[in-house]
Amino acid sequence: MRGPPVIELRGVGKVYRTGEVETPVLFDISFPVQRGEFVAIVGGSGSGKTTLLNIMGLLDRPTSGQVLIEGEEASHLDELGRAQVRRERLGFIFQFHYLLPEFTVLENALMPCRMKGSDFEAAQEARMRQLLHTVGLGDKLRNRPGQLSGGQQQRVAVVRSLANSPALVLADEPTGNLDSRSGRVVFDLMRSLSRESGTTFIMVTHDDDFALEADRVIRIKDGHIQHLATGAGVAKATNPLRLAASNSPV
Amino acid sequence: MKFSYFTLSVALRHLRYGVGQSLLTIGVVAISVLLIVYLRTVIGGTQVRIVNNVTGVIAHIVMEPAERTPIGAWRLPAEDRQALYVGETVKLPRALDKIDDWPQWVQALERDPQFTVVSPVATGNVFLFRSARRQAVRVTGVLPDRHDRIVNIESNLVEGRFLQLIAGEVVLGRKLADQIGIRLRDKLRLVGPGGQALSVTVGGIYQTGFGSLDEGQLFLTLRDAQSVLELGSSISNIALRVPEIFAAETIAERLAVRVPFRVRSWISDNPSIFSTLDAQNQTINLVLISTIVAAGFGIGSILIMSVTGKYREIGILKAMGATPPEIQSIFVIEGFLLAVLGCGVGIPAGIALLQALSRVRAPGPDGRIQSVFLIEIDPALLAAAAMVAVSVGVVAAFFPARRAAGIDPMEVIRGA
Repeated sequence: MRGPPVIELRGVGKVYRTGEVETPVLFDISFPVQRGEFVAIVGGSGSGKTTLLNIMGLLDRPTSGQVLIEGEEASHLDELGRAQVRRERLGFIFQFHYLLPEFTVLENALMPCRMKGSDFEAAQEARMRQLLHTVGLGDKLRNRPGQLSGGQQQRVAVVRSLANSPALVLADEPTGNLDSRSGRVVFDLMRSLSRESGTTFIMVTHDDDFALEADRVIRIKDGHIQHLATGAGVAKATNPLRLAASNSPV
Repeated sequence: MKFSYFTLSVALRHLRYGVGQSLLTIGVVAISVLLIVYLRTVIGGTQVRIVNNVTGVIAHIVMEPAERTPIGAWRLPAEDRQALYVGETVKLPRALDKIDDWPQWVQALERDPQFTVVSPVATGNVFLFRSARRQAVRVTGVLPDRHDRIVNIESNLVEGRFLQLIAGEVVLGRKLADQIGIRLRDKLRLVGPGGQALSVTVGGIYQTGFGSLDEGQLFLTLRDAQSVLELGSSISNIALRVPEIFAAETIAERLAVRVPFRVRSWISDNPSIFSTLDAQNQTINLVLISTIVAAGFGIGSILIMSVTGKYREIGILKAMGATPPEIQSIFVIEGFLLAVLGCGVGIPAGIALLQALSRVRAPGPDGRIQSVFLIEIDPALLAAAAMVAVSVGVVAAFFPARRAAGIDPMEVIRGA
């Protein structure tokens, strides 16, 4: 039986207020994301895609509407409650990897587990070692982040996002700061980890090539949603991101 | 705040990773703790020496007869006696200078932990006869083992004995002995104000370096003094010693309302000395407070730098689910650990410095070699210094910690 969507947005709107000035950023965004999906969010600069990702990651609150994580309303929780949901159910990958320089590669990958206590961290260590081996960092476990290349650091960040076995991983332009080769390695890694673990990924990206390989692409323009339902491997030649757009709900 | 394996491990790693900054802060705290321990001990010791030098070796508190004589509570049959006395009788002027029932008063005072030594004293002026010479001297009859802890005679003996003093023996100062030309085992004759005579042998000669004690004082057993002064079984006063010399006045005032005697402390007898020392203490306290505040600012500023430098990491930790109380705890733990480590260095360094200073010796005013610094390492002072430093560390860390806890992860992500 199919459970509730991993995440569902219902009529989410966001208005930034600076003194008397109100700047609407998102308008009535609604869509569900099912378990195991790999969704790409695309849009131009200032389109509101990062704001949308922040709201989905409970880092920001919507001005209107609801965010349901695994069927439970989460956007109106207090700060501690939202932190708890992020810790338990969400994983994050940022454009800049933001690893902690004082900790080794393995410790960085285990950091979300460490927040849950030493017993949980110890229980997850073997799995994280294995994952780091899988992403080609098996010989770097004891290295500090400063001793790794940008691509390697981002791979650690990808592994870290899976440490808690989250229901949903939110990635904000994870390849944006990498050269095309490293970007490809990181994207392929996310894609394969998503398939293997069944983890849901929502990725904000500027890169149309990567977006086309997602299960679904959500295009944001001026705070409104325009969606494209694509399957992985849609012919890139047609470049549907540019050709087709629709305002119909997902 | 929330202390956990996560917050402790991050705090420890911050300190280890920024070892230079950590060592600098630990150094600042260590110097502060060392200053507290050093200043309080050395200046405190110097003050005690000043007090001793100016006033001679004295009792901290003296309890002596007033114009009334108490009726002790022990005269009542009741078993549960809270009061030390239950009333008073007026005595005739001739009997004013005596404390009767002194064993009970001594016992009652001994039960009070405020007093470290309780010594009954029979004292008065007598004439000393040696061959054809006659000289007025003050005799002080004591129980030697008790009184030696108030006026330290035994360790200042040039020859003879004091603690084993027996009936018929006296101990006197070297200057007095030289003045009258007497030596150990010589015979003397004492005649009290009422004409009562007592033949005694010189059992010991001491030199304390305090003129009043070395020139005009003569110690003998309590019973001999009672006899020559015709006090019967009474005594003249009770000398008391308290652990904290500067608390003597407060303790004396508290005792005065509980007993029907006159109670005076060395402070009320020497007000100018006390006010000078008090001013000195205020100055030291000001220096110490400044030092502590400086240490607090040291810890605070280094943690503020740390928070600023780790702005992104803190934001990411919060994005991953670290709560504000956890982030706050990380920096409070850092402040706490820096202060504890500072104490760990400062206190042993302070002890080593004080031990080294206590070995410095030089000739004193009386020509005898003595310690330059009067040093008594007080564990309570060490504990207090550590507690102050740790409290300051935690308080100083609190503000940067709150700032860290308030970092908005979204700003970090947006501002990258």
